[in-house]
Amino acid sequence: MGKPEVKGTVTSLSSVFPPEEMQKAAKMVEGKLSEKQNEMNQLKEFIADNTSLINLVQKLPDELHHDIMVPFGKAAFFPGRLIHTNEFLVLLGESYYADRTAKQTVEILKRRGKSLMSKVDALKAEMQDLKAEASFFDSTASEVADDLVEIREYEEDNSTERVSQSGPVELESPSVAEADNKVSASEDDEYARLMSRLEELEKEELAAEDEDANANATETETDSDEDELTEAAFHRKKVEGYSSLDHNQRYLVSQPRKQLQQSKGKDPMNEEMSTTYNHQDLTNQLACTGLTAEPVTKGNYGGEISRGRIVHQDTKMLNPPVNASVPSEKTSLKQIIHDSSRNEKPVQTPKSEFDSSKAFTGSIIEHTENLEKKLPEQKTTSSQSSDSKPSKPVSRFKMQRK
Amino acid sequence: MSSSSTALRELQRDLENKANDLSKLQKDIAKNHQVRKKYTIQLGENELVLKELDLLNEDANVYKLIGPVLVKQDLAEANANVRKRIEYISAELKRLDGSLQDLEEKQHSKREAILKVQQRIQSHQAGKAKA
Repeated sequence: MGKPEVKGTVTSLSSVFPPEEMQKAAKMVEGKLSEKQNEMNQLKEFIADNTSLINLVQKLPDELHHDIMVPFGKAAFFPGRLIHTNEFLVLLGESYYADRTAKQTVEILKRRGKSLMSKVDALKAEMQDLKAEASFFDSTASEVADDLVEIREYEEDNSTERVSQSGPVELESPSVAEADNKVSASEDDEYARLMSRLEELEKEELAAEDEDANANATETETDSDEDELTEAAFHRKKVEGYSSLDHNQRYLVSQPRKQLQQSKGKDPMNEEMSTTYNHQDLTNQLACTGLTAEPVTKGNYGGEISRGRIVHQDTKMLNPPVNASVPSEKTSLKQIIHDSSRNEKPVQTPKSEFDSSKAFTGSIIEHTENLEKKLPEQKTTSSQSSDSKPSKPVSRFKMQRK
Repeated sequence: MSSSSTALRELQRDLENKANDLSKLQKDIAKNHQVRKKYTIQLGENELVLKELDLLNEDANVYKLIGPVLVKQDLAEANANVRKRIEYISAELKRLDGSLQDLEEKQHSKREAILKVQQRIQSHQAGKAKA
């Protein structure tokens, strides 16, 4: 049923990217980068020389002849004249020369300049790539230095995985859409995760609720009522009541939350919940709620009844565990609770309220208070089953405590 | 015991030889790379010259620098020379590519052989330690 098939890998970043190799790689990239930088400087010098040469060649034909100091040997000059100012012997390359006029020479030089520019652009692109590589290495090197661990969770159909985080842990949860949280407090990560999951589950539940709510109205009513009461009791203890709902084998709560998924196994569930619940608070509850949503959609649940129950449970679950404070939520939650207690169809209505993510937060805070209020209400408003409810939860609690 | 130690020494000598061969191979590969680079640059330059020569008028003077002498050349002749040179350089590059492939394969096989010898040495030493 709800066997938690936890598949996960915990790999320390240092094993994947050994620190020494990281440093070596970083140094190599740096070396290459400096090489490219040198080449780039050289090319830029060429371009500068080329442009100055173009200027000179353009100026020479202005005069018929120029008076200059002609270099003679290594360290001597003598005054002379520069004639045939429009005739240039241009080096074409590979020891080939050609006679050209000033204009033609300028054209040749311009073409050379263009090829140089294209080379510079290519070099720039290469340098960009190298820089990206270097930055990647730097970031991973710092991560490795921080002793971060990479955790991957793989979620199965009926199972949810929770990998316990320890200290500075980097959590990666492909099953849950979350950003990596480099948070030392694992609870924060779980909280966020749970919240997002809860939203998903809610949506799924709503979709499923609509189908079944109408069908098993009566049944779910009684069951839900009972569940609600029991849930309320559990919630007070911050028990993972959700797991009880999961008797339809919807979710597998992680270790602390592991709860029997049996429609009838409420008592054992209660026991579990009470014990495990005490340890974890929000995270667990959130996980539970989130989990329930999943099964709904996945259709793992045994029957409609369970759905109804889960719905109610969701609301209740949310209340006690989470300490979110949203006054508006309270009212919506109360409504939900009332509805659920009164009739089966409320499964749908509460669902609609559940849809909003707020519902969760609001319900969480107020739940404890509401529950207490609700219990009397339920007793009065609900049918006979409700009367018996108070006794049942109590007894269950007792069983749990014992 | 002595037989095993001599065998061990032989294995180590074998390892040294193979290591030398490997370093030689690596040097050859490096040289190959350098020559390839040079040829590639020359090829680029020759292609540039060909382009410029095509742009010249028929009656333009072309000179070739042979040592300290600047010799006047015919445009057609210069064109033909440059083209031939380009062909020659490309052929050289192809040849070098082939030899580079061979060298790399040899290097790879040498590395594997060295690994095997090392493993044998290790097993020998393990056996010695036990005994």
